[in-house]
Amino acid sequence: MKKYRQTEFPHIHTSECEALLVSPDELSAYIDKELPAWKRHLIRRHLKKCEVCADHVQLLQQTDRFLRHAGSVEVSDDFLSGVMARVSESALQQRQHDSLRSRVARFVETSLGWTQHLSTLMGNLRYSIRTRSPVYIFILTFAVFTMVGVTLYPPSGDKLVEKSHELELNAEKLISFEVIQPEPPKRLLTTYLQGK
Amino acid sequence: MFVSDEDLMMKCRKGDIAAFELLVRRYQNPLINYIHRSIDDYHRSEDLSQETFLRVFKSASRYEPTASFRSWLYTIATNLCRNEIRNRSRRNTCFLEDLVEEGEDVYHSEIMRDTRYLPDILLEKKEQRQMIRKALAQLPENQRVALTLVTYQDLRYEEVAEIIGCSVGAIKALIHRARQKMKKLLIKAGIGEENVSEEI
Repeated sequence: MKKYRQTEFPHIHTSECEALLVSPDELSAYIDKELPAWKRHLIRRHLKKCEVCADHVQLLQQTDRFLRHAGSVEVSDDFLSGVMARVSESALQQRQHDSLRSRVARFVETSLGWTQHLSTLMGNLRYSIRTRSPVYIFILTFAVFTMVGVTLYPPSGDKLVEKSHELELNAEKLISFEVIQPEPPKRLLTTYLQGK
Repeated sequence: MFVSDEDLMMKCRKGDIAAFELLVRRYQNPLINYIHRSIDDYHRSEDLSQETFLRVFKSASRYEPTASFRSWLYTIATNLCRNEIRNRSRRNTCFLEDLVEEGEDVYHSEIMRDTRYLPDILLEKKEQRQMIRKALAQLPENQRVALTLVTYQDLRYEEVAEIIGCSVGAIKALIHRARQKMKKLLIKAGIGEENVSEEI
């Protein structure tokens, strides 16, 4: 079995190589087609002339080709379904989380709204009390006195009943003694003239 | 009609699960292989791939089409792999290399040469693959990630730079060093040019 030559990769060895290749890394980039077209062209031309660099590139390409044959593993049949099941589960959780978050946000918004309303109302009330305090004090005092008066001197129920009864009787009397006086008939013009 | 990954992601952002399923179908194979090459454990790589896709879905709302979807996906996967490797070292997980006696060649140990139940050719190929995986595992982390992404996932240097978080120049150097080291390791493992040509 022919072995790789047990040498190091050659470094830049001539002035031409030095002028062309800034570093030996360039040759790796060359085989990976990672250099600009003009540089690739220059290196290709150089490789035709320089045996050491050509050998170097060949060895790099061999290593690369060999590595590419390292084989690959096959994905199991249930891999996709497994991933999608986990993804669906995650999407569902995300949706629930989002809905919960939006519900909390809505609740906070509403409660903040209510708080705002309440604070506005309280502010208005405070303002109106401050500006119209004499009127409120008068109304309050009046209400208090009325309440006290009503409590101390309650209107008696019998007197009211009697009074209402009396009123009813008077009304009956008025109705029974009402005399309807007929109006005298109007005399016609002809009768008036005849009488004259 | 081909829909780009970024368009699918934008649909997914609006809650389109079918678009996400299409993305999973596109990337399930390369992603599992990438993670498998990084952590060298099939079952864990499936778990981590699922986790990667789930994270992509969960953060879809934050996705901006300015970034390439591919590099974003591999960034998440790379971070998960790094965590896994860190946790393993914390748990002192035993690697194959640890089972081999000191001074003995890893690639020619009894464990690797258990050929009882496999036909020769299959075994040879399997051995080679194992050697490559083990050689990859011996690379420093950034070199391994860069080389794996360029060689197996066909990512551009710019994308790899985005994933690792360094400049394109640094990626060039990382990949070159990784290839040099891989070559040394493969020579050490006794893999020659003929094997390479046979494989091809």
